[in-house]
Amino acid sequence: MNSHFLMAASYAQGFALSRSRCARACTRSARALRLAFCAAVAAGAFAALALTGDAQTKSPFTPARLWDAKTPDFRGMWQVRDTAYVNIEGHPAEKGIAAARSIIVDPPDGKIPYKPQALIQRQENYKNRATADPSLKCYQAGVPRATYLPTPLQILQSPGNFAIVYQDNHAFRVFHPDTRPHFDSADWWMGDTRYRWEGDTLVADVVALTDQLWLDQAGNFHSTEIHIVERYRMTGVDTIEYEARIEDPGVYSKPWTLRTVLYRIKEPGARIIEDECLEDANGVRHHISPSDPKNLLKSDYSRWKKPAQK
Amino acid sequence: MKTLPTLHCFGLATALCVLLSTSGSSPLIAQATRVPSNAPTATLPRLPGGRPNLQGLWLKSAGGFQGLFIGSLDGTNLAAGGARGARGDARGGRGGPAPTRYEYTPEAEAERMDRLRRGFEDPEARCHLPGVPRALDQPAGLYPVQIIQDEKYVALLHEAMHDVRIIPMDNSRHPQNYWAWDGDSRGRWEGDTFVVDVSNFNGRTWLDMAGNFVDQNEHVVERFTLTDADTILYEAMITDPTVFVKPVEMRFTLKRVPAEQQILEYSCLEGERSLQHYTEEDGGKKVRAK
Repeated sequence: MNSHFLMAASYAQGFALSRSRCARACTRSARALRLAFCAAVAAGAFAALALTGDAQTKSPFTPARLWDAKTPDFRGMWQVRDTAYVNIEGHPAEKGIAAARSIIVDPPDGKIPYKPQALIQRQENYKNRATADPSLKCYQAGVPRATYLPTPLQILQSPGNFAIVYQDNHAFRVFHPDTRPHFDSADWWMGDTRYRWEGDTLVADVVALTDQLWLDQAGNFHSTEIHIVERYRMTGVDTIEYEARIEDPGVYSKPWTLRTVLYRIKEPGARIIEDECLEDANGVRHHISPSDPKNLLKSDYSRWKKPAQK
Repeated sequence: MKTLPTLHCFGLATALCVLLSTSGSSPLIAQATRVPSNAPTATLPRLPGGRPNLQGLWLKSAGGFQGLFIGSLDGTNLAAGGARGARGDARGGRGGPAPTRYEYTPEAEAERMDRLRRGFEDPEARCHLPGVPRALDQPAGLYPVQIIQDEKYVALLHEAMHDVRIIPMDNSRHPQNYWAWDGDSRGRWEGDTFVVDVSNFNGRTWLDMAGNFVDQNEHVVERFTLTDADTILYEAMITDPTVFVKPVEMRFTLKRVPAEQQILEYSCLEGERSLQHYTEEDGGKKVRAK
């Protein structure tokens, strides 16, 4: 069968699915804003398709609590199952990468609403992505990119504390309560995060990100003016719905929203393993696997003749 | 013989980070001197299960670290009382515990002296993880550590090198075929002391910037004891039979950072590019040839 036909079919299915996902989520939600957004989507060409299948109301999942009997318990190791790390917009299959639908749920076309100049920059980035992706320089991945990398993250939590450790490049974010203002006088790789609970949803406000970051491997980008509102919501014992509303008036014509799902890693004994990313003298990025001591950079100090192992 | 200059941080972003940490408006600079108010000493903070609550943002106050080397091009160690004054804690700090003593085997002593002269080969200068106990044994008053704890884990989120240790307390054993800068940590409670057994090191760690080192036989037992609500006594015993003739004992205190301050971001970016200026093929050779 013609691969272009398959690709087109996959795209069409993707668009339909993204709409039905929205309809499901929105009927569960009592939030006026999202209802309004949903109404707008429903007015679209695929509304009928979206509303026939999955629109029955489900009661929201109630997560377990921490020992304060109050705070929702998000602890555990999590990882997405999509390929948004390649391109958060819908993308066809490439060598070694499966095709995927866009994880952007607003606007409904699944595309980032770039301003014209910024779109040119994105196309330029895309062309040069094999060398220009900042993650190739071993920078920390940034927000929200760290969330949908193909490596696990671990949520650490106790009453009043919330932090995420990302395996990739041993990055972490400490979430601070929003009772105090942002520390935003710096441009950081992982930003400054303030959070609050809206019911059982953790809502995090993120600023202070550098403009050296990309959102994926496809050259999608932002400026230092980026402002992200993340929403973490458990939809089951083993799933967290992750949503990021992103605004950056210099780059995007309007705010846009991506949504994906983090799945719990359930293998017994699973842990975040040490992951170093280092750039060698030729500018080549190395992820160093701790399980293979031979996998070292040539330049590493190694003149000490180690006596026999115990 | 000239000693080579080394810098603690490489890379523009890291330099900015240090600038931030040391500028007057930064929350970090005040940490070493500010004494937390309302510090109850009668009772320790505890979690519902009864274990001491180690959570919070902590900063090494003094002691332990003797290897800080902030050099000038003429070989002066500014940290050890050079002309510009000590930024570090080269002598264990005012009133702090005695500095750590390392007793090497003869071969290892020669190796250590060689590394002391070749500070540019310090792996931390290449953005490698600092290892244990160096992750905590940073220059006093500079980089805090955030501790988050529950009944299963004690997690140490270090500002320095954004190093992370998530220490399980599930009676599990060290894994096979896993070697890492930070090794593998398994924790347990002995009364009110949190004890961590650390093994599975990759053998390449320097313990400081002064060439003190371990190899793959390194084994560390750490003890975290909350002595009052705002103080953790940290003790580490490092054994490495192929390097040390007797275990190295290290001891220093972590002080609670006032709640209005927060951990900042640390980046180590340039990797080896800046070190080209310090390697044998480049500047390092010239400097050492003097």
